[in-house]
Amino acid sequence: MKHITRLAAVAALGAVMGTGVVAQELFAPNLSYRTGPFAATGIPLMNGQRDYMLMLNARDGGIGGLPVNFEECETGYSTEKGVECYEKTKGQAIVTQPWSTGITLQVLPKTNVDEIPILAPGYGFSPMADGKVFQWAFNTPASYWDAASMILQYLEAQGDLSGKKIAFLHLDHPYGKEPLPFLELKAAEDGFELLPIPVGLKEMQNQSAQWLQIRRERPDYVVMWGWGAMNAGAITEAVKTKFPMDNMIGVWWAGHDADLKIVGAEGKGYKSISWSYPALDAAVLADIKTHVVDAGNSLSNEEEMQGVFYNRGLVISMILAEGIRAAQEHTGNAQITASDLRWGLENLNVTDARLAELGMTGMVPPFQTTCANHTGHSGGWMLEWDGEKFIKTSDLLQAEADAIQPLEAAKAAEYAEANAPWAMSETCDAPS
Amino acid sequence: MLTEIFIKPFADMVEAPDFLLQVLWEGLVSGILYALIALGFVLIYRSSRIFNFAQGIMVVFAALTLVGLHAMGVPAWVSVGLTLLVMFGLAVAIERVVLRPLVGQPDIILFMATIGVTLFLIGLGEIIFGGENKVMITEELGIPTGSILFEPWGGLLILEQKDITAVIVAALLVVALLLFLNKTRMGRAIRALGDDHQAALSVGISLQTIWVLVWFIAGIIALVTGIAWGARAGVSFALEVIAYKALPVLMLGGLESISGAIIGGLMIGMLEKLFEIYWGQPLLGGNTETWFAFVLALIVLLFRPQGLFGEKIIERV
Repeated sequence: MKHITRLAAVAALGAVMGTGVVAQELFAPNLSYRTGPFAATGIPLMNGQRDYMLMLNARDGGIGGLPVNFEECETGYSTEKGVECYEKTKGQAIVTQPWSTGITLQVLPKTNVDEIPILAPGYGFSPMADGKVFQWAFNTPASYWDAASMILQYLEAQGDLSGKKIAFLHLDHPYGKEPLPFLELKAAEDGFELLPIPVGLKEMQNQSAQWLQIRRERPDYVVMWGWGAMNAGAITEAVKTKFPMDNMIGVWWAGHDADLKIVGAEGKGYKSISWSYPALDAAVLADIKTHVVDAGNSLSNEEEMQGVFYNRGLVISMILAEGIRAAQEHTGNAQITASDLRWGLENLNVTDARLAELGMTGMVPPFQTTCANHTGHSGGWMLEWDGEKFIKTSDLLQAEADAIQPLEAAKAAEYAEANAPWAMSETCDAPS
Repeated sequence: MLTEIFIKPFADMVEAPDFLLQVLWEGLVSGILYALIALGFVLIYRSSRIFNFAQGIMVVFAALTLVGLHAMGVPAWVSVGLTLLVMFGLAVAIERVVLRPLVGQPDIILFMATIGVTLFLIGLGEIIFGGENKVMITEELGIPTGSILFEPWGGLLILEQKDITAVIVAALLVVALLLFLNKTRMGRAIRALGDDHQAALSVGISLQTIWVLVWFIAGIIALVTGIAWGARAGVSFALEVIAYKALPVLMLGGLESISGAIIGGLMIGMLEKLFEIYWGQPLLGGNTETWFAFVLALIVLLFRPQGLFGEKIIERV
């Protein structure tokens, strides 16, 4: 019954927001996935994103006095459907949020022609950090190579990695393969053995073969790039194989409370790098309760709202809202264009003071973007599952810029050459 | 290279027999569950010539209904009973609303209708239960958790108690289905329909009753499969893809053969695991389970187009 009520709420919201675009609003579509095999991880993220925008609309009348039309187009995490959604919504859109590395890679060349910013916070193609080459693409506040770098640093702090063996358990999908170039580079530099172990989409819930390989190879650590049902499947198998949880670390999309609740206390010690954290006493949550939850407009629930993914959804919408706000201030117009938003996203300066003003202290590390640096490289915290919830277990970790930037520049140049003629920014300097 | 292909895998098996046993056990667990799903396909195909595309979503729907009812405060085993009732209602509804109006239509129309049923159940499931991952009520159902450790030849063999339960329950269900099909009137009626529709109808076998029955049996299989797989990694719409693992089993065993589904399932479960561990991972970078079973089935089809156990169809013109 609760879900029927939620569906009615979505339908009502759709009716209010409309599928078409009316004047005097900010059309910021989201290529969401609330259905299909990955829905379990998509729903809390989408709910967080949506609730933040609804809160701004209800509390402030939108951004700069204009309401945000936060229309969702359902992709089911399917690349084909994602491209359809992009084509359907791009007409009046000031941004596109593709929500899958596969979809991001497909729409990346299109957005460079259509001149619409891609906002892919914490996902997508890591070289998108190079704003000179990828002038319309943003993976703020951290890239997958940042994640890999921070994980390796954390492991290095436990002991020299030279001579160690690291199994890289990943979804056999563009998302799962994304950190491989950086990990391979670091394996050669630091002298550890990298053992890539792919997990097919149909094997996500039955990873016995992958974990038999882990048992046979006896790696010192398992680094996981999992998504959806793969995460719970892997952690269940790790428990079964008696792999020490302390030596297993996932990327930020493999740190979902609901996945860990399936293994409960047995998953204690499992870690996940994250650029967001649920600060449950943050003022923004109180505002969302007042303006969205109490008004009966939220699709979320109390348990989900305390989790890492819902709160990350809030941060993602905050990044977009801050980009819109910066663009409005720069142009002096509330009604901004996609091109204006690109400027806004290139000039984000989310400091501790700004986070305090937004009521989001502690929810994301401070970060700053520039024309040349579209990631911001915020850094992240290592979170650990304590049997019931994720807790912070490290100070702020920062990715190794020296190691990442040359690789970003090389891969970005490679991409531009392979997709020539590729329009680049004429105004940016080299990535900073 | 030839040594890597022909010598080393077998040397590894001999060197670590405990590990080989573990591989075979994991293959057996997967295989018996593949066999169970394949049996659901075969029963419906035999009685109605329909390839049931909805088998996967039935697994999701049954598992979601079970955990959903329990979440509403219904005791675990009562939830199982109510879920079976829901699956029976679903079988009746599919027969009345979808299949009956399409009697006599080409097979492809009926196949397309099951795709429609799939899409309907996806939507209905998401509306009622939502898409969030849910925890299977393993302990509430009395399914033992934890593992049993053995040390054969000084090595290590880990048997998960819920896997042992899944194997035993699946095996019992397979035996019960075989007894039902061979020893009961209804079972013989299903087989008669599979052998010759016209002849079966002429002796008074009710097509409608049989269709409801086989779809209900497919529902029971879906529930058992949903519990077994859901206990491993939670209950979500990702469970749907598990059913597609049964497709090569059907190609291998034959769409009409009950014994083919069982033997095909066990063969694929164990062979794909052996191939992945001893050849796929060392030589091909792993993840061969995605395609191995299909290649195996294709090779079999080259020599036996009707599958290992399917009946050779001779049409006289």
